[in-house]
Amino acid sequence: MSTGRLKRKLGDLGVDTSSTKANETFCLIGTPLPPLEKSKDSGEFVPIWKQDVRDEKGRRRLHGAFTGGFSAGYFNTVGSKEGWVPSTFVSSRNDRAKQKTTRPEDFMDEEDLQELKDNRNIIDTTDEMDFMGGTQAEKQRREGADAENDSIASVLEASMLPAPKDSAGARILKKMGWRIGNGIGPRVSLKQRKLQDLQAFTSQALSGDDIKVADDEEEASKHMYAPRDTPVIRFDRKDNFHGLGYRPGMSLNESLGVNGGKSSSGPNLSAGFGLGALNDAEEDDLDVYDGASSLRNRVAYDIADSQNDDRMSIGASSARGKTSSRSTPGMFNDGRLILAGFVASDKPVLEDRWYALPEVPKGWKPDPQRIWEQGPEKENIKQKSTALPHQEWKTSGPSADERGAMLGETPLPSAPRSVFDYMSKKDRERLKNIASGGAPTGPTPVPPVSLTVPYLEPHIASAALRGFQPFTSDPAKQSRYTSYIQSQADPTAYPFSLKPLPSQRMDEFNKELQDYSKAAQIFKPVSGTMAGRFTSATVIDHGPKIHEGLHTPSVEEIAAKEEEERKQKEENVSPKVHAARMGMYGPMTREMKPWQPARLLCKRFGVKDPNPPPEEEAAAPTFEPPAPDASFFATPVVPSTSERRDLSNIGLGEDESQGKDTLTYERPSMDVFKAIFASDDEDSDDEKDGKKDEEDEETEATVAAPKDPIPKDPVPSQVSGPVDMSTFKPMFIPREGKEKDKEKSKEKKKRKKEKEKKPVLVSFAMEEDIGSADVPLPVKKKRKDKDKKGRAKAKDDDDAMWVEKPAPEVVKDMEFYPPQDDDSTMAIDGSYAPARGRKRAIDFM
Amino acid sequence: MAPSRGTQGTQALARTLHVTLDGHKGPVNVARYAKGSAKYILTGGQDRTVRLWNANLGTEIKAFASHGYEVLSITVAHDNAKFASSGGDRSVFVWDVATGVTTRRLAGHMGKIHVVEFNEDASVVASGSFDSTVRLWDLRAQSRQAIQVLEEAKDAIQTISIDSTTIVTGSVDGNVRAYDLRKGELRSDFIGQPVTSVVATQDCQTLLVTTLDSHLRLMDMSSGKMLNDFTGHTNVSYRCRGCFGHGEASVVCGDEKGMVWAWDLVDAKLLQPNPPPKVHGKIITWTEHHPNGEGEMITASADGTCKIWRHPE
Repeated sequence: MSTGRLKRKLGDLGVDTSSTKANETFCLIGTPLPPLEKSKDSGEFVPIWKQDVRDEKGRRRLHGAFTGGFSAGYFNTVGSKEGWVPSTFVSSRNDRAKQKTTRPEDFMDEEDLQELKDNRNIIDTTDEMDFMGGTQAEKQRREGADAENDSIASVLEASMLPAPKDSAGARILKKMGWRIGNGIGPRVSLKQRKLQDLQAFTSQALSGDDIKVADDEEEASKHMYAPRDTPVIRFDRKDNFHGLGYRPGMSLNESLGVNGGKSSSGPNLSAGFGLGALNDAEEDDLDVYDGASSLRNRVAYDIADSQNDDRMSIGASSARGKTSSRSTPGMFNDGRLILAGFVASDKPVLEDRWYALPEVPKGWKPDPQRIWEQGPEKENIKQKSTALPHQEWKTSGPSADERGAMLGETPLPSAPRSVFDYMSKKDRERLKNIASGGAPTGPTPVPPVSLTVPYLEPHIASAALRGFQPFTSDPAKQSRYTSYIQSQADPTAYPFSLKPLPSQRMDEFNKELQDYSKAAQIFKPVSGTMAGRFTSATVIDHGPKIHEGLHTPSVEEIAAKEEEERKQKEENVSPKVHAARMGMYGPMTREMKPWQPARLLCKRFGVKDPNPPPEEEAAAPTFEPPAPDASFFATPVVPSTSERRDLSNIGLGEDESQGKDTLTYERPSMDVFKAIFASDDEDSDDEKDGKKDEEDEETEATVAAPKDPIPKDPVPSQVSGPVDMSTFKPMFIPREGKEKDKEKSKEKKKRKKEKEKKPVLVSFAMEEDIGSADVPLPVKKKRKDKDKKGRAKAKDDDDAMWVEKPAPEVVKDMEFYPPQDDDSTMAIDGSYAPARGRKRAIDFM
Repeated sequence: MAPSRGTQGTQALARTLHVTLDGHKGPVNVARYAKGSAKYILTGGQDRTVRLWNANLGTEIKAFASHGYEVLSITVAHDNAKFASSGGDRSVFVWDVATGVTTRRLAGHMGKIHVVEFNEDASVVASGSFDSTVRLWDLRAQSRQAIQVLEEAKDAIQTISIDSTTIVTGSVDGNVRAYDLRKGELRSDFIGQPVTSVVATQDCQTLLVTTLDSHLRLMDMSSGKMLNDFTGHTNVSYRCRGCFGHGEASVVCGDEKGMVWAWDLVDAKLLQPNPPPKVHGKIITWTEHHPNGEGEMITASADGTCKIWRHPE
């Protein structure tokens, strides 16, 4: 918005906002110089009459009356010229609900609000429920009052304990349905509850008979109620100088033991005007709001007064005050201040109790060796016994079922069902028989296992010795394995000497030996012819050798490494770089690869596309077989085209010649027209140029053709595909640079033109003849073509680079070849019929 | 080929100061003759301007100021109607000489553009950049995209030379790449040192390749062989564009010490005086000989001046 305004302003001033200078952006670097006019206190002396009061925003605070001006209140107080405007009366009848109560803040300005905010102290950040002791502070105070509780301990506790929260028990109780204020225990009837209430107040044992339940509570007594909370009896410590039994605020009657409390049964009359002593208290006069306070006001001796008295006593007030009950927090008894965070202890400092040293027996000598010797084991054993892994712990004690059995409980009904439960009794018995007859199983204590060395056939063992070593990664195990196998292979030379490992039980050792024997059977090498086909794999664990500590290579090491790197680099240098370094530029440093310039680029550079687009390329292969043989002639073009499926013939179905007429129609006719009507000087750069190679091939083919005894031979091959047309397009010299070429060929062209023109003219003139006499013409023409082509070839030779194409001939060839027995040529012929007709019309014109 | 080749020895270099062009406020990075009779000079410098000078009088005709960064390269169209410049602002600016405004700003490069070059009829402008690509821009159509991007180089392109059918690029990766449009072939010759300038002879058969190892090499384009090697000067860290002398009978190059060196093209001998006098205070960034062989030469230097040298009258 502001920029818009600025722009408008600049526009008014005649500055061009769209110019680059005006649109330049700047950024400020550094601190700006202070403004010239002194807005802040610069430390200079200013006489009082020149000083002015400003607020934090630099606005003048005092105006008008204070400084002699008229604008009091206008500039920065009320903000309007008219000053305060009284709020106009608006009927709030319709929106009474909406009526907003005005708060003092509504009339405060920002400074006042700030002040208010500053004064507001954050009262309670821990608004947590604390049902037992009230707030933490209250609890603390009460505890501080307790003589039993050490004040330092309480302070420490208070500072270290987290904020009060529900205890775990309370939480559990709450989950069980207990609520704050209720007692704990089974639900009670109304009567019982009333009893409890009474007991709580009177604190004497009452029987249920003493309670009468009112009739209207009949309904209520049908329900059960939570019991009343158990009152915690709290004995207040006497810490004042009142007499026994006196409570502050007691009325005189009460203090005398007279039942004066009854006076309070009368209604409280509000203290006000117009009530005489004799006036009856009417309902309006009852003081509804003033309860306890008014009552307290009337007592003779008030606790507040007493406290005031205490404070106002004359003399060494502080000392006297302290002696009263307990020292005020923050002061020692002698009046010195206590360090912040500490509380003076109420208790006298306990004297340290000293015990006499035990008598040292005579002849005792300190011998730490004894303890050291037994030291470590002792501790370890202890630890082992205390910390059990979970698995052991689970199995160590009796299981739940066992415990249940011990206690004589009935086993749980959902005992695990085994397969046997689903078997018939007969089967079960049979199984039992089998089991008992077989291996000795069952929970019977296993007798100490004896060593059983599994037997391995010596030849297997010796083979296994030579074969794959399965435990190469564990050398210890491998050695045990080999020793076992050796003992099995040749028991006489190597008696069985393996012993169980110290931590191994005998059955584990047996298991290990069995594993070994199995491994030996598995890993024995394949025998016979198969053996030669395999080589045993070996696991070699050669990790990198690790040097401990920081790697600090020495200077020589680094130098050696660098040297090596350099050498390696030199070795890695490719022959190309090497040749370049030696200055042997040439084939060694040259790299050639094909590169496809963009078509547009070729056009802009006036160069023909080196690799013409694929559609033209596709045409070349169809043409490639010159096929001057009779067989090809006999089965003309169709197979060759049907072989190649490209974009040009996709979608034609089986009929290859379908639509060929349209394809062939367009292109040659253009060329023909050009050959006939266009002047030869005219260049058309944007015509796509055929490929030179193709031309060469083509001329080759056409030249080769006459050698063939059958004169019509090349015809089908040329007519074969519509794509051929593109390659037969005339070539134009594309660049100015080749001007002389053009010049050179000009007269040639002229000569040729005459020749070309003639046949073309003839061709059109002979159209009538074609209709009448088809066959003789091509033969005649062919001969003409022959020598023309020969000439073309000769011309090719003299300027091989840029070939002036004898395109029209080709076109003619195609055009005027009479229909063959081929479908496609027929089609072509057919296609020309309309053209011919049209041309004839032109001719007539 | 060369008119003076037949005469005895090569013509001495024009070493008489004709005029000093000192309008630039910083180093002059490039100085190019106009086409045609080449009576005008365009210089581009670190001060973000391109300046047009009258070579004969030494007066500044125009300053073209639109670049936001330094100007590193200028190329003039065949008809002198427009020129293109490039530099640190990653776009090629095509200018209209008469009006002095940019007609096109071709953006697409990712780095500063070290070189721009028109083709023969200024229908295509090629730009080689620090981003190691050469972009070929079409100036006929209104397309914003490059016609083609040549991405073969592995390092910054420092120089481009375009003749009628070949685009030759020189790159810091030490290769001179010739893109032959007619053959559809890329011939890359490995020189081994960062190539800073490539200048082709008139017949487009040989290239003068300046590299950062204080060598100028005359390379045969068709075979990639080195025909001659010119040394003696100092050029190890800056682009000091060398050129052919009058009638392509000699090779001229300024060096980093402010001296202009000349060699005989055929026997690669240093021409007198040897060592040459120091004519510039700082490195000579660009040496260009008058295209029509009038024995006139310009040198642009980092000392902020551009000097035109002629034979004494």
